[in-house]
Amino acid sequence: MDTVTPRPQAAQESATVLEVDSIVTRFGATVVHDGVSFSVRRGEVVALIGGSGTGKSVLVREIIGLMRPTAGTIRLLDTDVWGEGRDDMNLLRRRFGMLFQDGALFSSLTVAENLAVPFREHTGLPPELVSALVGFKLSLVGLPPQTGMKMPAELSGGMRKRVALARALALEPEILFLDEPTSGLDPIGARAFDSMVRVLSEGLGLTVFIVTHDLDTLLSIIDRVIVLAGGKVIADGPVDEVRRLDDPWIRDYFSARAPDARRK
Amino acid sequence: MTESADWIRYEVEEGVGILYLAGAWRLSSLPAISAALQSLALQVPRGCVLDGSRLQELDTAAGFTLYRHLAGLGCSESTVSVRGFAPRHERLLALVQERMTCPPSAAKSTHAGMVGRVGASTVAIWRQLKSHNAFIGAVALEFLALARRPRSFRFKETVSQFETICLDAIPIAALVTFLIGVVIAYLLGIQALRYGANIFVVDGVGLAICRELSPLLVAVIVAGRSGAAFTAQIGTMKVQDEIDAISTLGLSPLQVLVIPRLMALLVALPLLVFVGDVAGIAGGMTIAAVQLDISFATFIDRLHATLPMSAFKVGMIKAPVFAAFIAVIACRMGLLVARDARSVGLNTTSTVVQCVVWVILLDAVFAVLFERMGI
Repeated sequence: MDTVTPRPQAAQESATVLEVDSIVTRFGATVVHDGVSFSVRRGEVVALIGGSGTGKSVLVREIIGLMRPTAGTIRLLDTDVWGEGRDDMNLLRRRFGMLFQDGALFSSLTVAENLAVPFREHTGLPPELVSALVGFKLSLVGLPPQTGMKMPAELSGGMRKRVALARALALEPEILFLDEPTSGLDPIGARAFDSMVRVLSEGLGLTVFIVTHDLDTLLSIIDRVIVLAGGKVIADGPVDEVRRLDDPWIRDYFSARAPDARRK
Repeated sequence: MTESADWIRYEVEEGVGILYLAGAWRLSSLPAISAALQSLALQVPRGCVLDGSRLQELDTAAGFTLYRHLAGLGCSESTVSVRGFAPRHERLLALVQERMTCPPSAAKSTHAGMVGRVGASTVAIWRQLKSHNAFIGAVALEFLALARRPRSFRFKETVSQFETICLDAIPIAALVTFLIGVVIAYLLGIQALRYGANIFVVDGVGLAICRELSPLLVAVIVAGRSGAAFTAQIGTMKVQDEIDAISTLGLSPLQVLVIPRLMALLVALPLLVFVGDVAGIAGGMTIAAVQLDISFATFIDRLHATLPMSAFKVGMIKAPVFAAFIAVIACRMGLLVARDARSVGLNTTSTVVQCVVWVILLDAVFAVLFERMGI
């Protein structure tokens, strides 16, 4: 059993769970990141935005240990992602969840089997309890239990993302990474996905790190936004503060929806 | 304290049953928590109160297990109340309770027995044959359209397909048929030596290679090499919506993808069979020289005198028929790929199996047919 002493709630909530320190990434002569630094506290819902090709997805892949940055350090849940051995990394992998852009469901397995993979690999639970938990995870992301018997190819884009989210949530992660969660969804589906993420993050006390292009996501569920441009973080703060900054890209980005925003 | 008391304790205070939760209720401790719940032997039909004041941690899996156990004892949403939880845990429990109204998906996918499985694949073969027929019709219509507008024929694509199907396959086709020529000459030679009938090995090798073995083996190699490639290429395009993009641009996928491959294979396979004939005979000739003391000149002389031209022609007639079947099956299976990566692999395997079966089947049909015709 863990020897966790009940810490004061406030201290626990404000603890830093992710710290990215002067990351440099080069592909040959192309410099993608030129000293990127930021940190994320427990329980925050943070968005990373930036134009196409500014290395947002690359940064997430570096944070979760899929791609080695050229220089700099990344501390995720008090573990140095690129400094420790494989064992530490495997322990760490159980503590975060990742939702890939197209869901990345295993196409040879049914939805239920997809969700059972993390339980089977990382817990010693009896099959009966695993199948009950799989059903519960499905309803947690708002899918009917019959979905479990379908193959990923039979699902719509929105359902695939929900299933992928359920799989990412399977091992009760402390931090959840979402790569373009609403891309390819219709506006109604996208808003439903957003509000589900918010409900889950509040209900489960999750830290959520979202890479997105979706201005509506930004304006509805995000606590803090980090803007990546020219290989550096050019802005970091609440949405309302960032949108007032005088930067050509930020201005263009937020004015893409200006008429609607003004109506509000 | 009993073991179950580490996680959960049941007390009755003022006539109300209270469940005290304690410790870190996490997924990693779920087996122990489950066991603790089972061993508690609760009797709470009238409901109970959950007390979380001693709880350190809670996640959805543990919350779900608790509520599922209580539901199994006959407690409903209205008879379980909570108190003393941290706000975070209370929100989580509320979420769990709200989302667990749906029954869990216990139904597993049905697994067919042996007989059922064999039956299902037999029916699948029949269905596939029927759909192949329709596809052959569609390709034929496309050829008619091509005859009316010959300029829409994709010459460049056809040539580039021909290069990969034919030129790149020459080394492997030559190697395999050479080795088969060696094996045939060697085995025939052992028998022939006993009777001093060395020279008849030439007749046997020439006939076997040209009439049967070269067309058959080259067709099998091409089915495995190019047939699989066709299915994988077209299937991957299907997965990425490229086929739909071709249609949307006003082009016919059959015209763009299928006909160039079919034409290229129709030309390539007879040529490869010819390469196979030469290589196979060369293999036989090598063994004849080493084992049977038949010089190259004698071998070629004898071959010239005894090998009927019809044997070569039979091989050459078979080749384009094999080619047509391989190309049509491979392209068809490519277009049948569903929208996921797994189905590309399944269809590619299926292509190779179907092509090899058809090649052998056709070869048998040809054998009977030519025998009846007296060739």
